[in-house]
Formats: sequence, C-alpha cells, structure tokens
Amino acid sequence: MENTELQKIWKSIDNEINQKSKDELNLLMKSKAKQTLNKYIVIIITSILTSIGLIVFLLITSINRQHDLLYVINNATLGLITIISLISGLLTWHKIQNNKFSLPLKDWLNERITLLSRGLIGKFSKLYILLIPILYILTVLSINIYFGNKSFIEVLNSKESVIGLIIGAPIGLFVSYFAVRKIRKYQLQNLEFLKDMYSRLCNVR
Amino acid sequence: MKSLKEEFLDILTNYQGILHKVSLVYFKNKNDREDNIQEIIYQLWKSFPTIKNHNSIGSWIYAVSINTSLSRIKKESRVEYRETIPELSDKSDVIENLSMNESLKLLLKAIYNLDELDKSIMLLYLEEKSYDEIAEIIGISKSNVGVRINRAKEFLKQNLNK
Repeated sequence: MENTELQKIWKSIDNEINQKSKDELNLLMKSKAKQTLNKYIVIIITSILTSIGLIVFLLITSINRQHDLLYVINNATLGLITIISLISGLLTWHKIQNNKFSLPLKDWLNERITLLSRGLIGKFSKLYILLIPILYILTVLSINIYFGNKSFIEVLNSKESVIGLIIGAPIGLFVSYFAVRKIRKYQLQNLEFLKDMYSRLCNVR
Repeated sequence: MKSLKEEFLDILTNYQGILHKVSLVYFKNKNDREDNIQEIIYQLWKSFPTIKNHNSIGSWIYAVSINTSLSRIKKESRVEYRETIPELSDKSDVIENLSMNESLKLLLKAIYNLDELDKSIMLLYLEEKSYDEIAEIIGISKSNVGVRINRAKEFLKQNLNK
C-alpha cells in the first residue's frame, strides 16, 4: 500500500462530517460558557459563603466569650487557617482551571505536570495530614465550648467532653481523610497519566 | 468592522472539520464526541484573543483540539505503550454505526488501536501536514515526528492488509 493511499482514504472523511451552521456553533459556545460560568459560581460562592459563615460564627462567639482567652485564641487560629486555606484553595483551583490548551502538546503536558506536581507531591503536599485533625479539634472545641456554656479549661478538664472527643474524632477524621484521599488519588492518577504521555513523547523507542 | 466574536465564528465555521476529525479519532461514542467538540469550541474562544499570528490558525486549532481531547480522556481510556503490534480489537459496534465507506471504517478501526500520542501525530499526517507543522503542534523534533509517523504507518498498513 502506497503511503499516500492512507491519506487518500482519510480524505473521504470530509464528506462524512455534518458541518454545523454558524448559529449552531454560536449556540454550542454560549451554552458551554454558561455551564462553565455556573460551575465557577457554584464552587466560588459555596467556598466563600461557607468560610464567611464560619468566620462570622467565630467572631460572634469570640466577642461573647472575650473573657476566655484560650477560647479566643482557639477561634482566632481557626479563623486564620480558614482564611489562608480559602485563598490558597481558590488560587490553586483557578490556576488548574486556567488551562493553556493553545500551547504545543509537549509544552502543555509539561505545564500541567509542573502545576499538578506542586500541589500533589510538592513541599506542602502532605500538610493536609496535619491540618485536618487540627481543624477538626479546633472546630469541635469551638462549638462545644460555646453551646455547652463552659470555659475552655472546664471543657478540657471535663471527662465527658474528652471521651466525646476521643469517640467522635476517629469518625470525623476518617470521613475527612477518606474524602481528601479520594480526591488526591484521582489527581495523582491524572498526574501519572500526563507524566507517562510526556515521557513517551520525549523517548522514541 | 467585525466584532471579535463574529471573526471567531467565521474562523470556526471554516475550520470546524478539524474539531470533528480530532474528536472522531479520540472518542468512539457520539455523545462523547459532541461534548468534546463543545469543549474545544469553548477553549478556542477562551484563547482566541491571545492569538497573534493569524497565519497559523490551523495549527492553533489542531493544538487546542488535541490538548483538550487528551485532557478529557485522561485515565479512563489510558492506553499502554505497545512494543508489539496488537490484534485489531472489535470496535465494530461503534464504527458500523457510522455512515462511511469500508476503507475509511477499516482505517479508523486501525487508528483506534494506536496509542493516544500516535493517534494525534497520525491524524496530522493524514491531514497532509508537513513534518515541520506536526513538530510545531506537538512540540517535538522533526526527526522524532518522522520516526513516529513511519512506525504508525507500518502499524496501520499491516492492519489494513490483514
């Protein structure tokens, strides 16, 4: 079979394509833009509203309990971690969404690998292991102390509270770790797929 | 004077064949192909204002179409690198539904058995792109393009002559 024969066979595909009109293409573009915008809005609004809700709760409870210094410190730490997590989370998400598809394939793969590697296997990639239990314990303490009408020290010294925390923590932590690990597993598989493609593109075997 | 959107839609109308062909090579299911075309259109529109060289519109559309398709298939349709030529797997359920001539169906069946990277390079070759253009779109050297095309051509020919 001649080399050009493959190209000749392929050429006939032009007759098989159902060309879309300009209006149809415009409609497809509009609906996709709307879908993407909705996705952005849902994610951004949900993250911001949840964080604002938590910060407002922390502020109000801290004002009501300003005499309990340990409680205020607990809430301030939780608020700070929430704000930093929100900002870094939204920035990373925006970077991942801002895909530069117009680059040559090899450069695009390289850029995606660098970006994903930073979050998944970079310096701070294991920070979640430490952050989840800290956030969990700080949140549980903040809620329990406020609604239990006790001081920070009283709650820590109360046998029931400590037992409740010991029983509840493994369940809460298991659910949190499970969710985070599932997301990370998916992203790591994606990263491996990109790395595999990149290495195959560089090595001609 | 035409608006940016008008200009984009004119270009898209003229070059939409690329979107259809790239999607056909990567997605066997009609709905997946339609979704992919829609995603490519959106990604093209997003990067359209940044295009400086309007002489290489075709290369830009190929690059965005290939990269978008690869990002969508991800791990679900991960294809392992093959040292040996595999047997043609039965894709008849998908291809038979397409209204195209037999030679084209056979060629498409063979293309489906190429790995994801060779699919894109072979598509560009079949579209009669020069080695320089393919190297520019894929981002690899001309010699690398040559080696891959020769290997993929052999694979396709062997499958078509079976």
